[in-house]
Amino acid sequence: MPILSIRKESGSVSNLESTSALHGFAAPGRYGKRDGDAGVTASERKNLGLATIAARKGQEAALKAAIQSAYGADLPDGSTSAVGKGVRFIGIGPGQWFAVSDSLANEALADELSTKLQGLASIADHSSGRAVMRIEGPAVKDALAKGLAIDLDPRVFVDGAAATSTLSHMGVLLWRDGDAYDVALFRSVGGSFWGWLRASAAEYGLEFVTTS
Amino acid sequence: MRINCPYCGARCLEEFTYRGDATVKRPESIDESARDAWVDYVYLRDNPAGLHKELWHHGAGCHSWLEVTRNTVTHEIVAVELAAKGR
Ligand SMILES: [Zn+2]
Repeated sequence: MPILSIRKESGSVSNLESTSALHGFAAPGRYGKRDGDAGVTASERKNLGLATIAARKGQEAALKAAIQSAYGADLPDGSTSAVGKGVRFIGIGPGQWFAVSDSLANEALADELSTKLQGLASIADHSSGRAVMRIEGPAVKDALAKGLAIDLDPRVFVDGAAATSTLSHMGVLLWRDGDAYDVALFRSVGGSFWGWLRASAAEYGLEFVTTS
Repeated sequence: MRINCPYCGARCLEEFTYRGDATVKRPESIDESARDAWVDYVYLRDNPAGLHKELWHHGAGCHSWLEVTRNTVTHEIVAVELAAKGR
């Protein structure tokens, strides 16, 4: 019997609750300008399924067909996203996508993709390595502009548009979902991100809400 | 300076790393007779004043290797292609 096997039973690994990447330093509340409505609202999208998909050599067409039949989404060829049944697929480079899911929480997304795309793509689970922050509100573009060299004009950065870039020198993947912007960052820079957001949104008033 | 990445669009220089001359070709032969070709491949570079093909890596973006045609006198970029084009 392998020494490192972990039995999944009551109270074991599978039942642990994930901790916020901002745990211990970002408390819910109002920051910066106090009067009037908050110009920027931020929350963390917790327990998301996050995974990268990299097409195997020569399998891109078959991969696209498999995604279409399983999720009803057309994998995009550029840095934009396609939303299918329960999963958003975001282009992050030629032949590579980042998948995000609420319903397939945590590692369940990578597990399902690995099964459904066997032989067509390599899947890596990112659910415990990244935090996804949702930033919205009337001043969201002005606040983001302080750290991000991406044109967020709605005529250019349309709903679903995405960008892999840097935000105040931190590597991020950003995408637009309606009027909100989701920012996926490495969990380890959560503190730096919070410091940047708090300072950048202060003049507009920042409301930080935690989510489930 | 901005580079218009074929995948990501126009991005600022800080997202890229210069990875050298894109015109050099690795010699086919590893025989001793190809010694001069190897010295040329590893060490010798032209230093053109004008158009130059060079490799850039989009490390803070899509991670693609790009083949950029840049004017070394004016810094004007006249073409950007994926280095993996056709492969
Ligand atoms: Zn790029």
